[in-house]
Amino acid sequence: MNKQDQIILKAKGLAKSFPFENKRVHVLENIDLQLLAGKSLSIRGDSGCGKTTLLNLLARIETGDRGEINWGDYKMNASAACTSTDGRKRALFLGVVYQAYYLIPELDVLENVLMAAKLAGAYGRETRERARHLLCEMGVDNKEKQIPTKLSGGERQRVAIARAMINQPELILADEPTGNLDETTGGEVMDLLLKSCEQENTGLILVTHNPSFAQSTDDSLFLKQGKLQTD
Amino acid sequence: MKVPWPLYLAWKQLFPSQKKVSFFSLLAVVGVALGVNVMIVVIAFMQGFQNKFRNDIIDAQGHGRVISWKPSPNWREQRTKIEEHVSIEAVTPYLHGQLLLQNGDYHSIPFSMGIEPTVDNRVLQVNTFLQGGAKKMNSHDAEDVTPIPTIESLEDEVVFVSSQVASRLGVRPPTVIRFYDSNKSNHSSSGQIIVSRLDPFVESGEWEVFFKNAQEFVIRSMNSEEQFMGSISDGPIDLGLGMPVFEAVPGSRPFQKGDHFKFHVFRGSTIEVFAPSMIEKANADEMMPPREVRIGGIFEVAWQGFHTEALISTMRFMQDMRGQEGRIDGFYLKALQSVARSEADLAQCCMDLEEFLGEGWGVVPWFVENAWFFDLLKFEEYLMILIMVPIGLVAAFAIAIALMTSVLRKIREIGLLVAMGGSRVSVGAVFCLQGFIIGLLGAILGCGFALLFIRFRDELMTFIVKKIAGEEGQAGVSQFYDFYSLDIYYPWESASSLSTFISFAFFAVLVSTLAGLLPAWRATRLKPADALRSE
Repeated sequence: MNKQDQIILKAKGLAKSFPFENKRVHVLENIDLQLLAGKSLSIRGDSGCGKTTLLNLLARIETGDRGEINWGDYKMNASAACTSTDGRKRALFLGVVYQAYYLIPELDVLENVLMAAKLAGAYGRETRERARHLLCEMGVDNKEKQIPTKLSGGERQRVAIARAMINQPELILADEPTGNLDETTGGEVMDLLLKSCEQENTGLILVTHNPSFAQSTDDSLFLKQGKLQTD
Repeated sequence: MKVPWPLYLAWKQLFPSQKKVSFFSLLAVVGVALGVNVMIVVIAFMQGFQNKFRNDIIDAQGHGRVISWKPSPNWREQRTKIEEHVSIEAVTPYLHGQLLLQNGDYHSIPFSMGIEPTVDNRVLQVNTFLQGGAKKMNSHDAEDVTPIPTIESLEDEVVFVSSQVASRLGVRPPTVIRFYDSNKSNHSSSGQIIVSRLDPFVESGEWEVFFKNAQEFVIRSMNSEEQFMGSISDGPIDLGLGMPVFEAVPGSRPFQKGDHFKFHVFRGSTIEVFAPSMIEKANADEMMPPREVRIGGIFEVAWQGFHTEALISTMRFMQDMRGQEGRIDGFYLKALQSVARSEADLAQCCMDLEEFLGEGWGVVPWFVENAWFFDLLKFEEYLMILIMVPIGLVAAFAIAIALMTSVLRKIREIGLLVAMGGSRVSVGAVFCLQGFIIGLLGAILGCGFALLFIRFRDELMTFIVKKIAGEEGQAGVSQFYDFYSLDIYYPWESASSLSTFISFAFFAVLVSTLAGLLPAWRATRLKPADALRSE
């Protein structure tokens, strides 16, 4: 099978509900989703509709009520607690980018990027070279010794993207990565994210409110009342 | 180097990049270090006191005491048997008793001990005691140059008394004063006339020494007008019993014709001694006159548990006073250093000896005879530990609270680390390892502080005492709290010091690590999705 046709993410029958005032609120119901290698998919939806919850379920940092998730050939029950094997697999398979960047303030830029590599068990000169290369790609190579608090929002998000890419993951989950940025900077960051995914042949699931960013992905879905619809 | 990421991140959170030192880390490490330092130093001083007392006791009582339970006329045979024992280095017989001393209207009833002067300094450090008791009576125009007496001065008609007895009776041993002369021959660069010995039978009187030329001199007694010729090459010139021994010691400036030295010698005090046996004889209408003896020296025993009012005489004198010729009370022992080093070995040696000597003899090691005192010191040491351990725990609570605050501050980071593939246990380990690192660095720094404190303790003590008591008060304070003579060992010099350092360092690391456990547990309990959502 051509690598381009390989399914890197498959979710089937995903459901998630939360308890609220003696009832259960069903946020996600029977979500089916799949993504091919190197493809990008955007998910839009109103605030609080469950977009982040869906990403958390796909990343296995939250358990669902039912459903199945496949990271490539690695199959998991969405309602089961995440095992240490899942965790190790996640470190190599997934990269995550969040709206609030979540850079570790005690580490400098380069160390922040390398931290993700350390979590995946990758050490050494090659990893360091790749981190520098990614920072260069992101246009923040002159900031590698800076601490995150000295960077602008756009620069921080670029570092966060480099961190997400360091382990050459098969999939990037980006949760409103431009949410804290102005339009121009957001556009630049978005372009970088899409370009990097294309260059590295990495799949991307992008959660966003911005319709123009959503249009720049290969596919686009809309989450409404717990169900995914074509945008 | 492949450092596990929890350790790497723990280190970085304590010592962030681009920042020389974090305020929290500095406070935590210094806090632990001060705690470790105080604990080590206090216990090191306690051990120093114990060592000092141990040595003082051994100097005053030997390594052990053989006690005769009944009169033993054949004690000389027993002594030979003890001397032949493989573990024994020296042995000396003794007699104890109580005597009444009188000098005019002044009286004292000291603890009295008869010993054998020929061998005794090998077991009991009598010469050291005599050095401790020596007092100088200098004045504006004269210098006390009395040579410190030695155990060789002890004779049947001569006794040594403790400084307390000497003060009570107002007595002193023979004394020699050198007058400052007009030609300043006492100048430090000048040659000196040394009175190198003063026997207890010396009479009071004035002596003159004057030089005929650079080599030869004349010693003249002003009382008897006797003259003696001497030369520098003669060394000490012994003029016979009852006279001082003079010695000319050249300085950097040679003696010159006309150099003149003048001395005044004072005879030692005599006292009358009464014994309980005299009262018994008086009851039987037998009158016995008191014994008249000379004071040969004044001593001071460092071991404060020793009798403050005491008298040391020859064994024969004590036998006479007790009216028990040929009788002894027992022996003081000095064991070989290899045996004496360990209390267990010494106890075994004493048991062997007791069996070896047979019925009628008991052998008691020094630490059994003074067990009460060491139990007291041990109690004090444990009390100190008991007081200090809560101090360590308070430091641990402070670390736990600080790390807990750190967990609350880093909730989103914790979520992120799990989202990036870290296990919850590894994330928890980050906080536990922070406690461990603080404890380890604090322990190392604390041990360093303690080494510095031990190295510069005299300077530090002098500084503190001078600040409190001033220059004059320093001598008094240091005499009472005798810090200066304490044997405080570095960890590479003594096993007990090493064990103190290791124990407290380990305690600090353990407590700090445990302090990190609670925050670590809190971190592992966080759900990553909730952590990422938290505001």
